[in-house]
Amino acid sequence: MNQVTKLLQNGWVRLAVGVVVAAILVILPLVLPVFANQTLTRIGVYAVAVLGLNIIMGYSGQVMLGQIFFLGVGAYVTAYGVGNDWNVVVVFLAACVIPGILGLIIALAAARLGGLAIAMVTIALPIIGVPLAKRLSDLTGGSQGVSARFSSAPEWTGLDNDQWQYYIVVGIAAVAFVLAFNLVRGKYGRAMAIVRDNESVARSMGISPYRYKVMAFTVASIFGGVSGFLYMVAVQYTSPETMSFHHSISLLAAMVVGGAASIAGSLIGGAYYVLVPQVTNAIDPTITAISQGIILVAVLFVLPGGIVSLPRVIRRLLRRRGTPGAASTQTTPPPSRDAAPTTEGPETERQGQA
Amino acid sequence: MDTFIQLVVDGLSLGSIYAALALAIVLVNQSTGLINFAQGAMAVLSAYIAYVLLGWGLPTILAILGSVVVSFVIGAVVERLLIRRFEGGDPDTAVVVTIGLLTLFTGICGWLWGYNNRQFPSLFPLTTVDIFGAVISIRSLGTTLVIIAIMVLLQVMFLGTKLGLALRAVSVNPQSASLSGLPVGRLLMVGWGLAAALGAVAGALVAPQLTLTPGMMDTALVYALAAVIIGGLNSPMGAVVAAWGIGVLENLAAVYVPFIGHDLKIAVPFLILFVVLLVRPQGLFGRKVVVRV
Repeated sequence: MNQVTKLLQNGWVRLAVGVVVAAILVILPLVLPVFANQTLTRIGVYAVAVLGLNIIMGYSGQVMLGQIFFLGVGAYVTAYGVGNDWNVVVVFLAACVIPGILGLIIALAAARLGGLAIAMVTIALPIIGVPLAKRLSDLTGGSQGVSARFSSAPEWTGLDNDQWQYYIVVGIAAVAFVLAFNLVRGKYGRAMAIVRDNESVARSMGISPYRYKVMAFTVASIFGGVSGFLYMVAVQYTSPETMSFHHSISLLAAMVVGGAASIAGSLIGGAYYVLVPQVTNAIDPTITAISQGIILVAVLFVLPGGIVSLPRVIRRLLRRRGTPGAASTQTTPPPSRDAAPTTEGPETERQGQA
Repeated sequence: MDTFIQLVVDGLSLGSIYAALALAIVLVNQSTGLINFAQGAMAVLSAYIAYVLLGWGLPTILAILGSVVVSFVIGAVVERLLIRRFEGGDPDTAVVVTIGLLTLFTGICGWLWGYNNRQFPSLFPLTTVDIFGAVISIRSLGTTLVIIAIMVLLQVMFLGTKLGLALRAVSVNPQSASLSGLPVGRLLMVGWGLAAALGAVAGALVAPQLTLTPGMMDTALVYALAAVIIGGLNSPMGAVVAAWGIGVLENLAAVYVPFIGHDLKIAVPFLILFVVLLVRPQGLFGRKVVVRV
């Protein structure tokens, strides 16, 4: 186990792994059936939405119950732009900027509240969003919804539609993941973590909790908007139902099950969001809600860090069991073995709390 | 003018329903420091329990009382078996657990009783009386009176009884409360049980108006949360007054502001919310919480 970790820390090995993963992602749609491609594409769509949710909830510690609202706004903006023959780049930018501005305005008011009240404000977003989308029927097509076909594969590529959509979604999602990774590893990410852990400490260090909360909220809403654009690429149709309250709750459940405060967890969360309803619907559609509730509560009970923390938990169990035997046989000097738990200890604790 | 009075009175009766749920939320928050997002779903489950008891041939009032008792037990059990694991930890995690409960309870109701609307008899007669030219149903009046009675009881309990004092002590500082000899675990169970019982009352009051469905409380929960923020998380009276205010204002806005109309009136409490927050972040009746490092 240790050797694997050590190997992964080597820069060249990492690069090689990255290249292999990228190559697999590029080749995959060419060999898989249409349905699998569509499923993977939708996982990409929701992984970006969960990623945004993770930035605000996992990394900056504010419970956000309205992420689906920004996905819906992004989807509607995309549909409107396409319907009015905007350039697709302009459409994409609008699908980032408009939800971002909305998020900023909401955050400016909501972040004034401490603690859980922000959750109570954001729960309203999808619940107001649905009737609002029905009311603004000139822009949104009312409860009929609106469709936008702009993501068909161009002739010169020789690809099928599902393959083309897959490439767009996975490409944009990959960029989003890299950006998010850099954000949470960098200066802003550290400031957000301090704000999450203790606002008073953050304030005493000269970090304004208000400003970082607003920033995290805005970034989350931009990611929501991007996932809305991707949603239109994949589904090509949106209606008020897209941003219903239950979808928002499922998105939150997906984030927690995947792993809060974890980039990889967002990907697992996206897969969870798409795959679990498929499985439970295949068994019995009436149990979907129950099973989602049970899974969410069970994960929090057993694995507070989400599925992404599973390898770490297993490793810790193995180490605890293996230590006495390993000590006698292992030739490595003790400091390295002692160092491992200390470097890992705080991290698991931090992840567990989120 | 007649329409105006009518709208105000209807708004008060609507607001009373939000108030019942808001009171339950305040109660859990006062005794555990948590926000229970499953409060609405638990109220729906209570209403279904009352529905089952009615099906056994019990009179309405007994069925509701029965569901209140069963709900108290459910609330206490949920706290003991599930929530306790997360108390004292990160409040965000605990809140996500309550969101899991929300999904779970809605799912259980849908699984056991289906998603079709069911008729639920009203506790009060469906006759109306005439006051200042407005037609007021006995049901609205009864609902409002029940809520006022509960609010007064809660306020008295929190401020005037040993149990209320103990509950408040536990919510402010569980460790100190425990050191002073208070049975913290049992008090938390009682807090959850009382809130669930209160939710059962809300469920029984709402069900006749909305007909019984698993999602019937989703909207009411949102209003209740708005009322709780506007009124202040630590004030039962503030929550009720805010809930009434929301009920009345949304009714007036639906009729007098053409853009809002009936489908968008749910946005009204949040417009009020934003205005209130900008002026008083701790809510109209709330006390500011001082944080010490």
